[in-house]
Amino acid sequence: MDLNRPALPLQNKPRTKTALAATALAAALLLSACGGGAAPQGAEQAAAADPASGANASGAVNICGVKDASGIYKGTAEAFTKANGKVTAKYTEIGATTDEARTQIVQRLEGKSTECDLFVTDVIWTSEFASQGWLLDQTKLVEANKDRLIPSTVETTKYQDKYWGSPFFTNAGLIYYQKDKVAKPETWQQLYAEAAKTPGNGYVYQGKQYEGLTVNFLEMLYSAGGEVLNDQGDVKIDSKETRDVLNFMSEGLKNGSADRAVLTYNEDPARLAYESGDFGYQRNWPHVYRLLNATPLASTFGVAPLPAWEGGKASGVLGGWNLAISAHATNQAGAVAFIDFATTPDWQKHVAMDYSQAPVNEAAYSDAAVLQKMPFASELLASVKGAKPRPISPVYPQISQAIYKNVYAVLSGTASTEDAVKKMADEITTAKASF
Amino acid sequence: MAIRTLHAPAKTNARDRAERKLAFRMTAPSLVIMTLVAAVPIGYAVWLSLNQYSVRTAGLSRFVGLENYINALASQEWWAAFGQTFLFAGLSVSLELILGTAMALLLNLAFKGRAVLRTVVLLPYAIITVVSAITWQTMFQPNMGLVTNVLSTLGLPGGDVVWLGEHGYAMAVIVMADVWKTTPFAALIILAGLQVISAETYEAAELDGASKWQTFVNITLPLLRPAIVLAAIFRTMDALRVFDLPFVLTRGANGTESMSMLAYTQLRENRLVGEGSALSILTFLTVMVVSVIYVRFAGGNIRDVAKEEQ
Repeated sequence: MDLNRPALPLQNKPRTKTALAATALAAALLLSACGGGAAPQGAEQAAAADPASGANASGAVNICGVKDASGIYKGTAEAFTKANGKVTAKYTEIGATTDEARTQIVQRLEGKSTECDLFVTDVIWTSEFASQGWLLDQTKLVEANKDRLIPSTVETTKYQDKYWGSPFFTNAGLIYYQKDKVAKPETWQQLYAEAAKTPGNGYVYQGKQYEGLTVNFLEMLYSAGGEVLNDQGDVKIDSKETRDVLNFMSEGLKNGSADRAVLTYNEDPARLAYESGDFGYQRNWPHVYRLLNATPLASTFGVAPLPAWEGGKASGVLGGWNLAISAHATNQAGAVAFIDFATTPDWQKHVAMDYSQAPVNEAAYSDAAVLQKMPFASELLASVKGAKPRPISPVYPQISQAIYKNVYAVLSGTASTEDAVKKMADEITTAKASF
Repeated sequence: MAIRTLHAPAKTNARDRAERKLAFRMTAPSLVIMTLVAAVPIGYAVWLSLNQYSVRTAGLSRFVGLENYINALASQEWWAAFGQTFLFAGLSVSLELILGTAMALLLNLAFKGRAVLRTVVLLPYAIITVVSAITWQTMFQPNMGLVTNVLSTLGLPGGDVVWLGEHGYAMAVIVMADVWKTTPFAALIILAGLQVISAETYEAAELDGASKWQTFVNITLPLLRPAIVLAAIFRTMDALRVFDLPFVLTRGANGTESMSMLAYTQLRENRLVGEGSALSILTFLTVMVVSVIYVRFAGGNIRDVAKEEQ
């Protein structure tokens, strides 16, 4: 009986209610109209970090970023506090996932919050944050530390000829292969050919419709000599190289080089599938090394840098995390001191040994203690040094969407290469125009 | 009946007027709160949707009128998402109603352990959508998922299908996940409707010599209509706003991007506040139009049946 009642009020909508709603709406519009005119912030207004200030720093430094799964951020903060003596560093987790952390950071920066002095930023966020005037210019600091940093990692902090962060640890794709079944790959063509030869030799990568697919695609595109944007920022994706790579990838799915299941894989499902032993090659990040070692495959797998495109040279895409000083930091000197500590060759060894992350200091890769924990360090260094940043643009998220959506459409067979390339170029041009 | 007394013409004397004033004064605080809680955010979203927020100027707005709406309505993405959302809602809601009715009929039978079964049946509804989405994703994973493994072990078709990576199949999994989760909810509403049908009606039918099927089609179903319509309204409104299932299972690939997902991408990932707000408002309007249509057409039945029952 009562069941009939909830539906009734929907029908009897008295006029007064509508009128009230309209009034409220008008009030809300007025309210928001007053609040809508925030002052613009140009990148020009951002101040610069003084590299010398770190020496006289004191007080507390708050570092904010994503959930600290490996303990690297908290560990670094503790070690810094102990070593420095005058500055105490604290790490605050503000998001469970990368996406969530970005939202939280953006909210704080937009609101000019002084809560965080330093942010741990994904390499792809640099241009967006710098373009909003949210970060302190670190050019002088980077110049002072340049000799101890791998150049490709420094490039991920660059926007409009200035550096807006310092690299903390880096990341580059690697190929894991079954030594008993397949050869170490020199070129993508060789890898695909060998993967197709026998069932059980197949290649798994990250082919789901998301950021990871952009990375997988760009690794091949860069090694084929293609690019998304050139140095002037012009859209260059409509090219022969893009078509070649797309055809190559979709052909690989048809002839069995790569399992069709990769269309649903991000990092973890790809790793799990590979651990079943049914595949020859896997593309993944360095952290997989430790996990693979705990499986029955431990004795049979090898690690290789990403292969080259036939006739071209190998070139990966850099991942990793940077340290960016907030434009509203209350303790800029303390932040500089922390960056100085985190990038020292000595601490960078700990980054590799204690937390299995890729250091940004080249010498660390040949250190004996590091090599013991990370026997594939030289392969990793080769991948990191050869890697290029993803397209540098404040509207990177849109550019990446244009890439992964259209690449996915080709791979899943719902779009032709030709249409996808045209659409990709159009969408990237539109995205750039929205800035 | 209660409603009729409310609408009875009131004698307008001084005492009535005083009482009405008092009533207004007493409800005023809650009215203000409701306005702040509900109307202000919606109003703000409407305002945002009429502006273009440049990423370059970090939030500075420029009034563009209906431009964001026009762009959205002219875009392929919106109409693709629109069609996909309606396909999802149509499939999942009709399956949920059919299965929900069957489930309700079963639970309405008198048998031992009925109370326990009623609780158990509700379990899927108690699970958080994101969690159940991850479970479904794991089940349909190629190579090692439960479903794909069972199918290929038994030699049944579908064992070698990449369910979440294929057009059509991906939507099928999402619909299945939704049906699994919310059929109990529909069943519960329909069960409540079943229980108010008086036993005498059935006795009369039995005396007239009606078969089981005739009783179901001519008595149970018509009397159950208000409950089914109510379940349909709730479920359709929910289904049209679907976000978590496609987000977790496919990230919108293979023809599963819903209207809400599109709005999310523009708002949160791309920080295009104006465009994203316009998409949210369009989604909101779509849901509203659909529910108004429901109440207009199917809702008439609710009233008729209610009257008949009285």
